[in-house]
Amino acid sequence: MERQEEATDSNAKPPQEKSRWSLRRLLRHSSRYWYLLPAVVLVGVFLVLPFLWTAYWSFTNYGGLGTPQFAGLSNYLTLLQDPILFTSFGNTFLWTVGSLLLPVGVGLLVAVLTFELIGGALYRLPFLLPYALSGAVVGVLWSFVLRSDGAFNVMLRAMGLEELAKSWLLSPPWNTLAMILAHTWQATGVSVVLFLVGLQAIPRDPIEAARIDGATGWTLFRYITWPLLRPMTVVVIGISLVNSLKTFDVIWVMTQGGPYRSSETLAVTMYRETFLLFKYGYGATIAVVLSAIVILLSWLYLRRTLRSV
Amino acid sequence: MRVLRYSAIVVLIVLWILPLYLVLANAATPSGEYAEKPIWAPPTSFGLLENMATAWRAANLGPSVFSTLLYAVVGAGAAVLVAALAAFAIIALRVRHGFAWFMLIYSGTIFPFQMYLGPLFDGYSKTGLYDTRMGLLLLYTAVAIPFATFIIRNHFSGIPIELSEAARLDGAASRTVFWRIYMPLSTNALAAVFVFQFTWIWNEFLFGLTLSRSSDVRPIMTALAALQGQYASTSIPVVLAGALAVSVPTLVLFIVLQRLFVQALAGTGK
Repeated sequence: MERQEEATDSNAKPPQEKSRWSLRRLLRHSSRYWYLLPAVVLVGVFLVLPFLWTAYWSFTNYGGLGTPQFAGLSNYLTLLQDPILFTSFGNTFLWTVGSLLLPVGVGLLVAVLTFELIGGALYRLPFLLPYALSGAVVGVLWSFVLRSDGAFNVMLRAMGLEELAKSWLLSPPWNTLAMILAHTWQATGVSVVLFLVGLQAIPRDPIEAARIDGATGWTLFRYITWPLLRPMTVVVIGISLVNSLKTFDVIWVMTQGGPYRSSETLAVTMYRETFLLFKYGYGATIAVVLSAIVILLSWLYLRRTLRSV
Repeated sequence: MRVLRYSAIVVLIVLWILPLYLVLANAATPSGEYAEKPIWAPPTSFGLLENMATAWRAANLGPSVFSTLLYAVVGAGAAVLVAALAAFAIIALRVRHGFAWFMLIYSGTIFPFQMYLGPLFDGYSKTGLYDTRMGLLLLYTAVAIPFATFIIRNHFSGIPIELSEAARLDGAASRTVFWRIYMPLSTNALAAVFVFQFTWIWNEFLFGLTLSRSSDVRPIMTALAALQGQYASTSIPVVLAGALAVSVPTLVLFIVLQRLFVQALAGTGK
């Protein structure tokens, strides 16, 4: 391609304009970079620079005023002993386990049950619909359901299950579990869609062969479908884990991480430490730790996504 | 076996629809009637629109809706254009180190937003971008670019390079190749990315919460959360109606363009 460009250029320009020609060539050569410029500048200024800044702040005791003072690893050491962070890590762990079992598990179930079913798309619609709602809206809707005098408790009482009713959003660990449920309601659609793509990609032959050999239902799924679905399962797990780690809106709207910071996850603790307690340096440290975990788990699916690039 | 399969599906669907039903039934309950009827019963009179209007006034949603529309339309549009230019440079113009450039841009979609928040707030406060429409618009555009570049780049690489090479040989400038060949051949992908990013910006909460304060700058979901905070002063049906009202645009887009969303989702799971 480059050679062709030179060829057309030298055809067009007489040789005596040699110096101007090379200047033009330089301009022409760099002109292709102009196409990259807006994207690189916007991403560079608004994402990459703040990223580097956060990484730097995590080693300082910056509080929003003056210049950040270098503090070595002290934030990271504080983080290891901070009881708030202990709760936060615990809740984050609950979220990852919960989203492994629920959005992934239920998503797989829905996808397998409705796969190749007449009208399958219609059966799947209820699971996909919440995807169009924002996290804030999901938080508002589920607050209504799970508040102490909310719909869930009212219905429990009406069914005579009074003793099961609880202040779901006020007592740990129920508040975290309740919010995982709300998140599941929204996030299952993504898994359904991805598992469906995976199921469609499975070659017909092994399934037909197994059917002829008499395998049906559970056996067919256990020994044929499930192993063949594995690559997609890994992707879905990776995406679900990462999405659960990034969850902020649902928690902020439903409990703001409370009461008494009992339902914070790392994503929420970072926000509170930075913007409500003005510990920019410490908040940055939490952001770095969260990012490290996210990157580690993203690797599960990024490898595959980027292979297609 | 068949019976088991269908009953499992039905149980799951009921579980998923029940909260939606409860929300709809109570969002449509006139505020005065809320305390009197059982929570699962449908309302005797239809108060949804009136509740939505009350929510609109109580949370001062008007200016927020206007701003959010601006962010979502202009932000998603600008991101699509900027991403298409970058993808064109990488795929068709074959800039040197194209993959490295792509990774630099794509890296913007990998990390949790917490990694950007602190310095953005700090920088916005110091440069006067805090609590301005321009500040949020620029940020939303920037955040939308990485994913848009990913999708558009994939699409562009499916366009035979011979097309642009032939055009270049005929003397077409790269600008012409971009506007006459690559963009027209990609209208579907570009529209998909636009709709996807429109929805994302419309539903965005965290950046709005961090970088804005006044009611005519803050995006709609942040305004909704503020309404939720006033549970004491607003009735529950009003808050629910407000939540449904702000979801109308994305719900309509989703239902009309479901196939398109599913494709975009299947591509990445974002």
